Amino acid sequence: MIELKNVSFTYPNGPRAVDNVSLSIGEGEFVALIGHSGAGKTTLAKLIVGLLKPETGWVKVSGLDTKTTPVSKIAEHVGYVFQNPDLMIFSATIYDEVAFALRNRGYREDEVKKRVVQALKEVDLGHKPLDTPPYMLSFGEKHRLAIASVLATEPDLLILDEPTTGLDYARCLKLMEICERLVRKGRSVLIITHDFGLIAEYAGRVLVMKKGRIIRDGATREVLRDVEFLEKEGFMPLQSTLLARKLGLRALTPRELASAILERNP
Amino acid sequence: MNYIFEGFKFKKKNTLIHSLDPRAKFAYLIMSFVSALLFTEPIPLVIIFLTSLPLVIIAKALKEWSRSMKSLSFFVTFIFILNLLSVTENRLNYAFSMVFRFLALTSAFSVFFLTTTPDDFMSALEKMGLPKEYTLMFTMSMRFVPTLARDLRIIVDAQKSRGLELEKGSLIKKVKNYVPILIPLIIYEIRRSIMIAEALEARAFGALKRTTSYTELKMGIKDYIFIFIVVFFFGMLIFLKIFGFLPEWMMIKLPEII
Repeated sequence: MIELKNVSFTYPNGPRAVDNVSLSIGEGEFVALIGHSGAGKTTLAKLIVGLLKPETGWVKVSGLDTKTTPVSKIAEHVGYVFQNPDLMIFSATIYDEVAFALRNRGYREDEVKKRVVQALKEVDLGHKPLDTPPYMLSFGEKHRLAIASVLATEPDLLILDEPTTGLDYARCLKLMEICERLVRKGRSVLIITHDFGLIAEYAGRVLVMKKGRIIRDGATREVLRDVEFLEKEGFMPLQSTLLARKLGLRALTPRELASAILERNP
Repeated sequence: MNYIFEGFKFKKKNTLIHSLDPRAKFAYLIMSFVSALLFTEPIPLVIIFLTSLPLVIIAKALKEWSRSMKSLSFFVTFIFILNLLSVTENRLNYAFSMVFRFLALTSAFSVFFLTTTPDDFMSALEKMGLPKEYTLMFTMSMRFVPTLARDLRIIVDAQKSRGLELEKGSLIKKVKNYVPILIPLIIYEIRRSIMIAEALEARAFGALKRTTSYTELKMGIKDYIFIFIVVFFFGMLIFLKIFGFLPEWMMIKLPEII
């Protein structure tokens, strides 16, 4: 569904942000993209949405080449939730905010209303009156509103750029459940995050970026259990994984560790 | 459009213009500002505009300056057409003059901001007796330019990724297309300024009337020479204009159009 071949990108007067990246993301995949600040994660996401055009190589989204297809067309397949919801929200009501992308696609108003109500429900904003001004919402609520405005379009691929910033644990879990639901429907999710706990629980595949390159692409369990690799690259492995190793157990998450301990000492 | 700000952003370079005291450059800014507002004839306005050119060349900032000037073509066209339509006599002459008045003003500001750090500018204003609150306001607004440009870029990207097509539709539609860009930008920047104000107050800004400064500005011989040249040149222009001694060739008017 999403394919990148030998993609490179350099900002004017800047370093090479993405360097010869090739990868593909299929239907129903839940992929986590990790890397230190400045590794090129957001640039890669922008290349997928078509906001940036590759310098070399190509990016194809549902068969459309991003170099020759307008962003508005790519946006019909890829939904991108930015880090800061304040930079997305502009409408006078939460209804209009969520309806924006739908109206841009030319949906009829009855269909727009159905999707808006559904999307707001999914992010736990269903109880709010539809004419609530977005600027009256808290940061977490605005974040969920921004996610709803993208969810409403039911994109083939949902990209979430550090979505857990400013969200409490319960909301993070809720967000991950929404992503899981999308994945079950055959859609894909690419999440840019530093939260290894959430990745371990939900993502099926992990991409590790460093200096614009993908230095590791593998199953979540395999990558996150490779403590030597993570430490060498300056990441902090999950405490539960480290403890499990010390105890000679094979576990990734705290839940798994607890089960493993109980199994050994019933 | 993105290049507009480039000509107003300080770039560190080791040149004579960069090393001048900000007050000397401020003298140039004020004198060319006053002259540009005083004259209505096209030739003197072109001359005032061209005075910035040698300064830009010496400051090795021709690329940034010319990019910025080119990016102003939308405003230049707008000013030209608006003035052409708004007056009844000497329309071409008037429209041409207004364009060069605009270019002379922006170019003088460009020279100043390309070669003066916000900190030096602040120190200069303080030396000139302005209260700290006002000098800080000035310099903060200068520092805001690149931040504003970055935020604008992010907002445009965010709305484009939701299917917004800025260049689509009739003229009215095109203007409307900018609503999703301008509203978040304005609200976000107001919020940001409130946050900055709170952060300043939390660090005891305003507790003392006089504060110490890391750098101390001192006028040197080259600054006085620069001020002398500037005051002499623009002073002459202003004198000729006020007392009606402008030579014939400076008062040539462009032909009238129907």
